Amino acid sequence: MKYLDLAMNAAEKFGAEYADIRIQKTTDQVIYLQNLSLKHTSNNVLQGYGIRVFKDGAWGFAHSNVFNEEAVLATVKKAVEIATLSAEVNKTQKLRLAPERSYIATYRTPVKIDPFTVPVSEKIDLMMEVARTMLAYEGIMKTVFLMILHKDEKLFASTLGTRLDLTTQFINPMITAVAVTESDSQSRTFDEGGRAVGWEWILELDLREKAKQIAEEAIIKVKADTLGAEERRSLILDPNHLGLTMHESVGHATELDRVLGWEADYAGVSFATPEKLNNYHYGSELINFVGDNTLEEGLATLGFDDDGVPGQKWYIIKDGILKEYGSTRDTALEIGLNASRGCNRATYYFNQPINRIPNLYLLPGTKPLTPGELIADTEDGVYIQGRGSYSIDHHRINFQFGGDFFWEIKNGKLIRPLKKVIYKSYNPEFWNSCDAICDERFWRPFGVVNCGKGQPPQTGRMTHGASTARFRNIRVGGSQ
Amino acid sequence: MNSEKIVQYIQKHCIADDWTLKITKDDSHETRFAQNVITQHIAGAMKEISLSVSFGSKSGSCTVNQDDEESLAYLVKTAEEIAKLAPEDPEFVPSVGKMDIPEIANCDPQTKALEPKQLVDIVQTSINKAKTFGATVSGLTEKHIETNALFTKNGFAGEYEKSDFGHSMTLKKEEVETKVAYEAKNFADFNLQILLEKLLNQASSLAVKRTFEPQKIAVLLRPLALQELFWFMGWMMDRRYADEGITPFTNQIGNPFFGEKFSWFSTCKQPTLLAPPFAHDGIIAEEIPWVEKGILKNLATSRYWAKKIGSKPCDIYNMFIPGEGYSEEEMLQMVPRGLIVNSFWYIRTVDTKAGEFTGTTRDGVWYFEDGKIQYAVNNLRFNEIPHNATGRIIATGISELANPISLLPPMLIDNFNFVDKTSF
Repeated sequence: MKYLDLAMNAAEKFGAEYADIRIQKTTDQVIYLQNLSLKHTSNNVLQGYGIRVFKDGAWGFAHSNVFNEEAVLATVKKAVEIATLSAEVNKTQKLRLAPERSYIATYRTPVKIDPFTVPVSEKIDLMMEVARTMLAYEGIMKTVFLMILHKDEKLFASTLGTRLDLTTQFINPMITAVAVTESDSQSRTFDEGGRAVGWEWILELDLREKAKQIAEEAIIKVKADTLGAEERRSLILDPNHLGLTMHESVGHATELDRVLGWEADYAGVSFATPEKLNNYHYGSELINFVGDNTLEEGLATLGFDDDGVPGQKWYIIKDGILKEYGSTRDTALEIGLNASRGCNRATYYFNQPINRIPNLYLLPGTKPLTPGELIADTEDGVYIQGRGSYSIDHHRINFQFGGDFFWEIKNGKLIRPLKKVIYKSYNPEFWNSCDAICDERFWRPFGVVNCGKGQPPQTGRMTHGASTARFRNIRVGGSQ
Repeated sequence: MNSEKIVQYIQKHCIADDWTLKITKDDSHETRFAQNVITQHIAGAMKEISLSVSFGSKSGSCTVNQDDEESLAYLVKTAEEIAKLAPEDPEFVPSVGKMDIPEIANCDPQTKALEPKQLVDIVQTSINKAKTFGATVSGLTEKHIETNALFTKNGFAGEYEKSDFGHSMTLKKEEVETKVAYEAKNFADFNLQILLEKLLNQASSLAVKRTFEPQKIAVLLRPLALQELFWFMGWMMDRRYADEGITPFTNQIGNPFFGEKFSWFSTCKQPTLLAPPFAHDGIIAEEIPWVEKGILKNLATSRYWAKKIGSKPCDIYNMFIPGEGYSEEEMLQMVPRGLIVNSFWYIRTVDTKAGEFTGTTRDGVWYFEDGKIQYAVNNLRFNEIPHNATGRIIATGISELANPISLLPPMLIDNFNFVDKTSF
């Protein structure tokens, strides 16, 4: 597109040491069904461009949705002007960019059936059927089916000579059933957090069966017992639950911008500081976390990040030891890295990219082990499925998590369903208490599409993954 | 294309039985700084045009951010096509008709006139001050001028402009970290020197820190902490969810469900408080008591649910909690010992039916005894039911602005339930 060269030439002429332009069109289709009332069905298209200018150790970022030469040049000029203002403040402490080469490349999320081509009526028919299935159960008072389709079409150019043409997309179906009795209400949710695939995934999921399962489990849950006082017990966590546990306690803790204190005013900082690299026992020897922006069907598998850095795969924690972070071009040099790990991503065209969690997953255990065998090997514990209440402090140390469905384990058997279970732990106690991880047959990915971070706030997306794992001697109990 | 022309285009080309058009514009400037350096600097203007249409009770929507005729044609065609494919909606309500919209001064000319250089100067002054204190400072300095317009086929026509200026600072010196923030529609009330003085005083008072075990104890919650907690509770204060038995407010309207020292209003009459004159679906802002002297008076009610139960629709658009006027010093003398909490972080629901939440303290916790602050303590986690906590209010202070939509006093609450501690 002609505006790419126009903007980059102008930025250089105005004195930029580095500049890039990201022309981005974001298309969302959102369908929200509450009981049998279609509350919202919408197609949304937001398009514009953001121009970043790096000058004298400082950034300026300006955006516009007006596509003509005059507007593009005015936006470049504005980015240069505010970079110049920033540089005055940064005179004695300049930002630096890690080196990067140029690329000319194209990337497309592989999809068999583009979900945007599936008629809205077909989607709504499926959603209504799922809702009717759940509402047919006595005791289900409310159901929600939220279907989100998302596509980003980006053209990226930088003064390094990079030219990228990237189209990435995901789908996220989320279904909730709420059961109500005279004294309580409890929900059960099917939510795999989204996946970078086409409509074929929806067809494979068999959502009608999932609807029966979550309606039945919501009813079981609302009638279930509570656990009572907090005690130290074993926890067995399913891959879906572990997805958000690792997101909060490992993913955010190993974002390099947090480590450097760049999010100190809002999203928080991290305890996992650079002097801990290569010596800190973040977890037991079973714990291996990989950052992988090349993961098939991964939400952060985008070809390149918004610095123009290609997707990579690297160890963040290996054999329990903290090894590295997720980094960007403007954070990498601060701790002596040679290059960025390609984790700088923006949500919309009007957002300046920020350091994001990559696709991050826990490697499966190397010895054959099934979830059934793991439960059978556990005397006293709680098995947690799905995601519930999540809260972690702003240093990413102390946390309290819930879940979506719970079973009490006694003498190797699931003896009764539970509700309102919460557990408390902290880094590094939690990951060091892991004594068993099921093998690769049971490894499952789970996405996050609403990761809030930054000022102004942005919602990021990434995929996590794990096999069911056991954690010993954790404080587990019922809520008040 | 201005709003009037967009409306004319929709009137001319939309063939649906009913439509609602929303136009939002935001001209913003954001300077983020961290560890004494500007890390991000963002400027630009945005516009979004959303159209919801219906044929009978079948509805569809579309949003674009371009206002040329081709984009508007796409907007109308897409919304209409979706609506035609949608099923009949058993909860459909037609768009709102013509309403008298209150005149509320939500846009401050001085805020609107702020230039980028002025914002950067505020950042520079803040960094310089932090450096003289041997510390680093991180924060956000921002300005937003936002326009919201709503038009319907049934005759609603409303547009208002609002301004927002904010400057937040988190100071870090060795193990000490603490935060102050100003965010309001008016720049005129912003005083950087007073804010910096407050920041440095807080930081100095946190220098000596001792380990404190979690327990039930009296707390003096400052306005920033309280507004975070009560807004989470406010999101549960929905009439439909209460009537359906999902939240703790089931069958509680008219009952003393809160403590008698607690009241919460949404109001257009507090001059410093932002009050959007109408909500996204055209509900007009009125004086609404949600809780008055402990009695639950109202719950937010959608237009559909209001029609179903024969009530009036209403929306929680801001938070005004009146205070008794006690000073912090006076409140510290009302209990033998307790904690002062500056703010909360990462509040989440633990139990929807019970109305229980968890979260941690942040940016400063102090232990007081015999009416005086003794020392700072580590951060703590709470599990608490806010409506129950209002029944343990001992005293309240002078209402102050915590953010543009929250005007509330510090509160002294007994037996606040801390359940865990952090290592910092």
